[in-house]
Formats: sequence, structure tokens, C-alpha cells
Amino acid sequence: MKHLPKWTRNLGLTLLAALAYAFLNMLSNHLLLPSATFIALRPQVALPFFLGFIFGPWVGFFTGFLGNLIGDVLSGYGPWQFWNWHIANGLYGLLPGIATYMGMKKIRTLRGFVLMEAIVVLTNVLAVAFAVFTDMFWLKIMQFPESLNSWILPAFITNTVQAFVLVPLFLVLAKFITITIETRVTLILSWLMVFIVTVTAIAITWTVWGDLTSRAASVKAFYSAGIVTVLVVIIGFIISVFLTYRITDPLSSLSRAAQRIEQGEYRLPELEKFSARSDEFGQLSRLIRSMAEKVEKRETRLKHQVAELKIEIDRARQAEDVKEIVESDYFKNIRQKAREFREPSRSKNGESQNADKGEDESGRI
Amino acid sequence: MPKIVSIHSFRGGTGKSNTTANLAVFLAKMGLRVCVVDTDIQSPGIHVLFHLDPKEIRFSLNDFLWGKCEIEQTTREVFCTAPGTDNGGKVFLIPSSMRTGDIARVLKFGYDIQLLREGFTQIIAKLEIDILLIDTHPGLNEETLMSIALSDTLLIILRPDAQDYQGTAVTVEVARQIEVPNMYLVMNKVPAIFDRAATAEKARAAFQCPVIGILPHADEMMTLASDGIFVLQHPEHTITHEIENIARKILEQRTSPL
Repeated sequence: MKHLPKWTRNLGLTLLAALAYAFLNMLSNHLLLPSATFIALRPQVALPFFLGFIFGPWVGFFTGFLGNLIGDVLSGYGPWQFWNWHIANGLYGLLPGIATYMGMKKIRTLRGFVLMEAIVVLTNVLAVAFAVFTDMFWLKIMQFPESLNSWILPAFITNTVQAFVLVPLFLVLAKFITITIETRVTLILSWLMVFIVTVTAIAITWTVWGDLTSRAASVKAFYSAGIVTVLVVIIGFIISVFLTYRITDPLSSLSRAAQRIEQGEYRLPELEKFSARSDEFGQLSRLIRSMAEKVEKRETRLKHQVAELKIEIDRARQAEDVKEIVESDYFKNIRQKAREFREPSRSKNGESQNADKGEDESGRI
Repeated sequence: MPKIVSIHSFRGGTGKSNTTANLAVFLAKMGLRVCVVDTDIQSPGIHVLFHLDPKEIRFSLNDFLWGKCEIEQTTREVFCTAPGTDNGGKVFLIPSSMRTGDIARVLKFGYDIQLLREGFTQIIAKLEIDILLIDTHPGLNEETLMSIALSDTLLIILRPDAQDYQGTAVTVEVARQIEVPNMYLVMNKVPAIFDRAATAEKARAAFQCPVIGILPHADEMMTLASDGIFVLQHPEHTITHEIENIARKILEQRTSPL
């Protein structure tokens, strides 16, 4: 794969992915959601999102577009009957791809994770909105609000929930999400929450399945419950992000503080706001701050000890050496000369000092 | 009035020539016309820092002292401030002879202080020199004492080292007896663990002499390995700032007896 030019690789990848998408679409068209004739349980919806994030908008778009087209053919609907849904499926890959073009990097932080999930939800909203509007105003297949329960909500709810859970899973496997403490905690909390909500929903669906397929009024209630599910997932996600932040924020601050200490900096303002907390992070923050203070004090003390420069001079030897030089003839001779050279500025002390001063003030130096 | 500054150290290897060359270039960058005289006739070396090829040296200080040439024939311009920022700053160098015969002759006969003084006076007048830096020979021999006698400022370079301390103590006392008007200490190759202010105060108290520079021991200086002028290559380095302090301190002082 590595020797191939990028576009060849992307083309091959797109075709393979589109075929897989089509095949899975065909399968899931037989696992239709209750009452919604054309909308299906489709875990494969995560595929174009995923490819869009990893390989960019074109791979993402054509995987969704071609996959849906071929899937429709395989399912016996004909290639262009629901062309606007091909485009909607294409959007699933296009928008995440555009996000990476706009500078979205590999996900390491809570912020990156939230951004990714927000893109997933927003893409779902836009894609379904596109399909619904073209259906209503162009193809005139749908009627609003009559189609809300039979088309729009089923498509939106199933796709959103499935993409919301599966896209991060794929991204983790592809290492687009790096497992850090921030991403790990978010993943744990959000998956746990979706798992509970989904299992509950499936259990309820099973118990009322017979009634749902026979009575239209219950269907409406069921999808109202569905939209509640989405809201619960989104609110739950926001709560889990907040909880994650409460754990990861002190952790990354502690890690930054440790780095500072390593570089010999002992002022740790980033730990101040956690010190009042009563949990382990509060404890740890207080401990590290007091540790840093103590290390700083000890280091300053050591520094003073080490930097105590000692200058020892043997005064007796110095006097001897000086005496030997200054009593020599050549020294006396030089001293005499030096006095003569300096004589002009030394004689008549008062005057010459004034003269010197004047020169200094007017001189160029 | 022009200044004459002797730069001296009791022992070799203190970084005396290097400090002189850097000080000269810094003063030139401040717009002064500087002349560096290498009177280290026994082991000349400052020309290397200015990339002056010994073959290019036609006349040296020795030739002048033996009456072979005029003093201005010995000078070489070795640095001038960049054309764009030309402020008239220049460094001239009067090298010493590197011929072993010449060196032996100096050792044997010495040279005449009166003539040296005249040479300095002439070169200061002819090249409009603002400040003359004399790179002296280590120790306290006759030539060194002459240089000190002719100077209005003596800069003594020492390292944090017991032998340097002892020699510097002797030098300071001897220089006092020659009555050099201004005398300063510069400590070189000071390990970073020593606190600058405390070290300066210690040295001032021990030698009873102001300390105007504490140059830290620096890898950058060692890497340069005498191949060029440090202050030009590391304009933001602590050493460069210390050199600047030294330059400004010297300029504050009273001027030449000549």
C-alpha cells in the first residue's frame, strides 16, 4: 500500500469501503426499525464518518454516496429513486473530512473529543435536514409533520446514536484518538451511559414490539421516547464531559506542576485552585505545593553553602613577594618614570583637578 | 582625552587576550576608535582572535622599538563596525613579532619605556585613538610594569583559583606602588553555582579593589575556541553583558597621564 500514490490508495479504499457499506446496508434494510419502512438499524453509518476523519472529505463522501447507491440497488430500490439520501450519506463522510482539513488534529484531549462528537451530531442534523428538505420540496415524497415519525426521527435517532458510539470506537482502533487520561475517562463515561440507555431502550422495545407494529398511536409515543433518548445521550455526554474535566483538569495541572519542579521552578500557581478541594486531588495539590516549598528552601540553603567562594591569600608571602619587586632597581626606576609621566596632572593639585574635570565634561568619552 | 588601559593577569590562561579582544570590539561598536597593543612579546596571541595571518604582519611592535619603522607602520585595522551602522568605531592592532629571534632579543635586552611611551603618544595622535588597550604579558616582569606605569587604568583578570588569588594580591599591591590611577578586577571562568554579587563582594574585600566584571564559565566560549570574537557571535550572552559593563565602567574613569 505504501508504494501506491495517495490518490490510488484513496480510490481503492473508497471503492472497498463503499462496497462494504452497500452490503451492510442491504443486510440492515431487512432489519427494519419498527414502523419506519425505509429506515434501518445501521451500525455501518459510522463508516463514512470514520473514513472522513482519517482520510479526508472525498474518501468520506464517496464511501457514503456510492455505498448508499449500491446498497439501494442490491436491496432492489433502483439506483436513483432516493438520490438525495445518497448525498445525505455522502455528507456523513464529507463534513468530518472538512473538519480535519480545517485543522482538526489527532484527538488527545477532552476538548478534541467533544469537538469530534459535536461534529458527528451536527453532521447528522445537517444530513437528515438535507434529505428531509429535498424529499419535501423537490421530490414531494414526504409530508411534514406527517413524515416526522415514519421517516425523519427514526433516521436521525438511529444514525445519531450509532455514530455517536461507534465513530469514537473506530477512531480509537485507528489510533486517531490517542488514549490519554482525558480521552479514556470520557470514553468510559460516555460509553457506559449510551450502553445503559440503549439496553433499556431495546428492552422496552421488545416488551411492546407487538403493540408498536399494530398501533399507530404507540408508534408516535415510541419515537417521542426516541428523541428523549437522544436528548438523554447528549445531556449525559455533557455531564460526563464535566465529570471528566473535574478529574483531568487537576491531573494535567499536577503534571504541569511536576514539569515546572523538574525545571527548578517552585512557584506553582496552577495548583492553587485545587488546594481547597477535599478529595485526593486537593490533598495531592497541597502536598506537592508544600513539598515544592521545602525543596526550594533546601536548595537555596545548599546553593548558599556551595556558592560560598573562598579567597584565601597568604599575606606573609604576598608581602615578601611585593617587597622583592618594589625594592628592585628596575621597579624603582619604573616608578620614578611613572611619576614623571603623571607629574603634569599631579602638580598643583587643585588646579589640575579642575582642569581634569573640565576635560571630562567636554571630552568625547 | 584618550585613555590607556592595561589588561593583565598574573598567570597565563586566564582569558586575558580574549577579554581584551572582546572589550576592544565592544568599545568599537560603541563608536570608539580603539587600538590594541600586544606587548605580550614573549608569547603573542591576540592576532589569532582577529584572524590576522602572521605572514601579513610586516612590522611589529618589536620593529618600532628597535627603530626599524614608524609606529603607524605597525598598525593593522582588524575590525570596523558594519557599513550600515557605521558609527566610526574601529579596532587597530599593533601586533608583536612572532619570530623567535625577535622574542629572544626582547628577553635579553628588554625595551625602552620612553620609546614605548612616545610610540603610544604618536599612534593616539595619528589615528585619533580614543582608547588604547595594552595586552600585557602574564607575571610581573619589567615590560609589564612599564605598561602599568604608562596606563591610567589597570584591569586585572583572575580566575577563581588559589594561585591566581595569591598572584593577584601581589599584582594589586605592586600596581598601587606604581600609583596607577584606576585599578579594577575582572573574574573570569567563574562557575555558574557562584552567586555573582556575593563573588564580586568577596573579591573586592579580599583585594581591596573594585570588581567590575564576573564572567561566567561558558560552554559557548569554549566552543568558540579562540576562533573569533565572542561578543559578535553571542550578542545576548551573559558574558557579552559583562563585557559591556566593563567597557562602560572603564569609560567613566579619569584619563591618561600622557
